[in-house]
Amino acid sequence: MPKILCSVATKGRYFSTLPLVLFAIVNQTKLPDKLVIFDDNDEPQDMRNEFLYQHFFKILEIKNIQWEWLFAGKKGQHHIHQSANTMGFDWVWRVDDDAIPEHNVLETLSGYIADNIGAIGGSILTPPLFFENSDPTGLLENIDTEPSVQWKNIKQIKSVEHLHCSFLYRAGVHDYNLGLSRVAHREETLFSYGIHQKGYRLLVVPKAVTWHMKNPKGGIRDGQKQEMFDHDEKIFRNIISYKEKTIVVLNNGMGDHIVFNKILPEIKNPVVFGCYPEIIPCKSIAEAQALFGDLDQWNIYKKMAEWNWTESLEKAYRKLYL
Amino acid sequence: MILISPYSKKLTNGKVNPKNYPYWKEVIAGINEPIIQVGIEGENQLVDDFRKNLSIAELKNLILQCKTWISCDSFIQHLATSLGKRGIVLWSVSDPNIYGYPENINLLKSRDCLSKNQFLWWESVDFDANKFVAPEQVIYNLNQFLT
Repeated sequence: MPKILCSVATKGRYFSTLPLVLFAIVNQTKLPDKLVIFDDNDEPQDMRNEFLYQHFFKILEIKNIQWEWLFAGKKGQHHIHQSANTMGFDWVWRVDDDAIPEHNVLETLSGYIADNIGAIGGSILTPPLFFENSDPTGLLENIDTEPSVQWKNIKQIKSVEHLHCSFLYRAGVHDYNLGLSRVAHREETLFSYGIHQKGYRLLVVPKAVTWHMKNPKGGIRDGQKQEMFDHDEKIFRNIISYKEKTIVVLNNGMGDHIVFNKILPEIKNPVVFGCYPEIIPCKSIAEAQALFGDLDQWNIYKKMAEWNWTESLEKAYRKLYL
Repeated sequence: MILISPYSKKLTNGKVNPKNYPYWKEVIAGINEPIIQVGIEGENQLVDDFRKNLSIAELKNLILQCKTWISCDSFIQHLATSLGKRGIVLWSVSDPNIYGYPENINLLKSRDCLSKNQFLWWESVDFDANKFVAPEQVIYNLNQFLT
């Protein structure tokens, strides 16, 4: 059985929607193997002193769910999600602190886990239901002209290119873009599309409804500025402008470039950003930084460390790019 | 002609690179062939013919001309191997299973000498001359290779 982590990022909602979300999680028909709550509040509190939470923590013990309450770094929810992504679980169910899943959501989503599946989402509904008669495609190219596929009662299984808000995903396949600002605008779109680009199918499935309260108070994006949204939107637009390409970033040594050169002919539509154009014709690292914000997802040394790598550098490049 | 590339990239903290082989003088004394050293400005000159700051094309040309080459774990082993020229690599803390090629002669004293974390900056690893094979072993392997 794949191990599933449930991850909740929270800010400013200790006594509004967060308890509703947490009790919805412990009342799932299929329980996660672990629950981790990332507390991103500016002035975090010890919730063990609160009556409601005291009961909640006891229920977690009674139901034998491992849990952690972690104090996050106030750098934005993309950093939080990346932590969850690399905690060693097979799958991560990300749940917003104002998104309340019905009792069967994790059981339904996890029922679609298969070798070729990268992420599974259900309906994310906010009353009143405006989009029941819409027919969105779920393709990235239509993101500006259609509502999310998940904003209506999903009637049948559908493959899409990106997901929204809360979903179950295969851990460790793709990194969150840590170059986004604290507001992390478009983070889930970039992340889920990245999984799709790695060759996994993304599904939206029926009978898995999460009620998104869109609580106007608090929230992980609380108190952020328009410049941050603009910054993130620019990165998003840059990345999707390369969506037909395989982005390669070689921010490393000459030897690393030579090793990479062996696999370059096998990469589909590569566009290479690197340090040594005399070895591989490439655009500059500075340009990659400006376009995509964060380059860690292409850092082969970071990847090998994450993978506890013991095979050749060439094989590591193959894993990252092919 | 034997090509030697004695030094790995300089570290930003000024410490000795833990991948730099410490017994080059002894190795050079045991080689009965003309030797060309390649490297960059600022590195110690170990033989009369030291060619600095060569372009990739010039390095490729030299590699193709030499009988074989001897290097620490540096760029030269990757370039030479990509050209199909076999050589000898003198390892210490970096892992030949990750960074090397089976077609070369990879001289590693012991896998116990390898750095536990292979993916951090080498600045965080101390140089230790005891982690390298003896010069006699290098000469022996070179002679075996040439015959």
